[in-house]
Amino acid sequence: MRIGILTGGGDVPGLNACIKAATNRAVGDGHEMVGIRRGWAGLLELDPADPETITTHTLSLSPDVVRTIDRTGGTILHTSRTNPAKVRASDEPDFLKAGRVDDEARDHTPHVLKVLEHLRIDALIPLGGDDTLSFALRLHDEGVPVVAVPKTMDNDVHGTDYCIGFSTAVTRTVIFIHQLRTSAGSHERLAVVEVFGRYSGETSLVSAYLSGMDRAIISEVPFDVEKLATFLMDDKRKNPSRYAMTTISEGAHFVGGEMVMGGTADAYGHRKLGGIGAQTGEALKEITGEGIIYQQIGYLMRSGQPDSLDLMVAINYAVMAADLLLEGTHGRLVALRNGSYVNVPLEVVRQGVKRADVDALYDVDEYRPKIRHVDGKPMFLY
Amino acid sequence: MRLGVLTGGGDCPGLNAVIRGVVRRGVRAHRMDFVGFQDGWRGLLDDMTQPLGIAETTGILPRGGTILGSSGANPYRFEGGPEKVAATLERHEVDGLVVIGGEGTLGAAARLAEDGLKIVGVPKTIDNDIGGTDVTVGFHTAVQVATDAIDRLHSTAESHDRVMLLEVMGRNAGWIAVYAGMAGGADAILIPEQPFDLDECCHHLRRRHASRSSFSIVVVAEGAVPKEGTLELPESLLDENGFPRLGGVANHLAPEIEERTGFQTRVTILGHLQRGGSPVAFDRVLGTRFGIAAADLAVAGGWGRMVARKAQDVRDVPLAEALAGRNLLPPELYHEAEVFFG
Repeated sequence: MRIGILTGGGDVPGLNACIKAATNRAVGDGHEMVGIRRGWAGLLELDPADPETITTHTLSLSPDVVRTIDRTGGTILHTSRTNPAKVRASDEPDFLKAGRVDDEARDHTPHVLKVLEHLRIDALIPLGGDDTLSFALRLHDEGVPVVAVPKTMDNDVHGTDYCIGFSTAVTRTVIFIHQLRTSAGSHERLAVVEVFGRYSGETSLVSAYLSGMDRAIISEVPFDVEKLATFLMDDKRKNPSRYAMTTISEGAHFVGGEMVMGGTADAYGHRKLGGIGAQTGEALKEITGEGIIYQQIGYLMRSGQPDSLDLMVAINYAVMAADLLLEGTHGRLVALRNGSYVNVPLEVVRQGVKRADVDALYDVDEYRPKIRHVDGKPMFLY
Repeated sequence: MRLGVLTGGGDCPGLNAVIRGVVRRGVRAHRMDFVGFQDGWRGLLDDMTQPLGIAETTGILPRGGTILGSSGANPYRFEGGPEKVAATLERHEVDGLVVIGGEGTLGAAARLAEDGLKIVGVPKTIDNDIGGTDVTVGFHTAVQVATDAIDRLHSTAESHDRVMLLEVMGRNAGWIAVYAGMAGGADAILIPEQPFDLDECCHHLRRRHASRSSFSIVVVAEGAVPKEGTLELPESLLDENGFPRLGGVANHLAPEIEERTGFQTRVTILGHLQRGGSPVAFDRVLGTRFGIAAADLAVAGGWGRMVARKAQDVRDVPLAEALAGRNLLPPELYHEAEVFFG
């Protein structure tokens, strides 16, 4: 069997370990592994009539090639946000532009199917979040054998309790929060720490829970900045070191306000978030008159080496994905549920993104994590 | 002898090592006792003190920040400020004051010393921009944090074929940017001492992307300035000491670079992360040695002077001399860093 593997969406730590483990598992059993570069863009931009595009968009993976890749973060295959089912003129390779007169999104799925056939790829392992995996589902619907691996530092893919990258993102955030404490304390300030997480507040909520933050503002629950100011001033008064801190999701918004976005939408209709932390900092300064530390953790959450939990999950997901394909099972998403490795129908990604379980984990009145009755809960609490 | 100790200005890793060094040396070698003034000069203006002895300074060596608290308050910006400072020192029967600070805090110290107050200074700032000394407490920790960030950002930059801008602190000096940039292998470094031409920087990036790499890391000092007439940047506001409020220049540069090169460009502003956390070994040793030297200098009556590092030695120089000019990055060092651009 000849298996293709690719990574799409934002990079996270653990992707290379996943690529390595899948390669070793498949090649060890006498199969072939082909890396497709730059996510779905690799298949879209590959022209079967032009051999050079095959060299630039694919990479034959052997145990020798992958031997040392798991020691670094990112993805050796590179990544993109391209969605071949919705390609705008600006992202379209010249050889597919025939007859193009407008900038309407076009569906190039038939081209991708042709490319897969040309590359003699029998099955695919795509590593991605809900956007990348929505096209994996499309290929599955077209009859391509697919087993998908969920990765996103936001931990927002349906059907699984865990996505590769989440643990490292939270680990980093907790470390940075503790580093900021000395500055916040020395200057007796209010600190606003903005974290990536798109439309899910889970990175904000879990980082705050694990680092003992005073408050956590999450994407799912619009917040009143006056109320937040009152809470933080109260927290500061009660803190012997005279400071207070809150996390805030990049996708958070004021009561009655909209998410703060910039830039243009990508092929999945998503725009860059960010800026709500700065706005909140300004508002807190105005209301309280206190000095503010505003810090975005941003890319530092997902760049660099994976922690051991992300390695554990990435390697096991890879072995499971290869296992499934080699035994002839496909159309599945490898997943963790209630602490066990399982596989679920890939159709779960149709449900869109998963949000933090506000009822179970968040106090909407106090703006902070509320975790009770842990007995019997899964490792990641829901 | 009874010494007062204060830490002023932005906090930085290694302050606690200095405090511990002064107290340990003072108590053991000179039978001193101490009083801690809280929140920089504010503690002397508003008479806020805390006990400071062996017990209070035990276990603080590896901790970032300052156990005394800090502020940017300046006695010369308050009505009757200098008199209040003198009165507070008298009330607590303090024979001398150890002032640990950067340009703003030590500037006030130098003026007060000229007016007859018994003060010795200890230079601290992550920016490394104080004259009279080769290096200041906190600089090497900030460089390490920035270097770690560059190392990590490589994986994301490469995976996405992007240009990553990392903005670091340093005020009007490029020390952190050049040290971290050299240590992390930055593909371009923009600093205040060498006004940049963005087109030249973009040329480096295009050449690099055309030949061997699909990504680049650019380190931008917060005080970096474009060559006159090459790029308009919004004017910055002034802080309470009259310095321009820095930070965020990378946010203005990223869209310009993206437009000129066509490469996706993203920004990370390291901000307060480079001031917090545990000091690296160098800053612990430097802080400890400065602390010892400050206690010895007080006993020797070296008022109006600042402890300093010259080559491997810890010495002292007149405060006024140290503050006469900023320590900026020598051009030769930037030219060494340039070898690796593009």
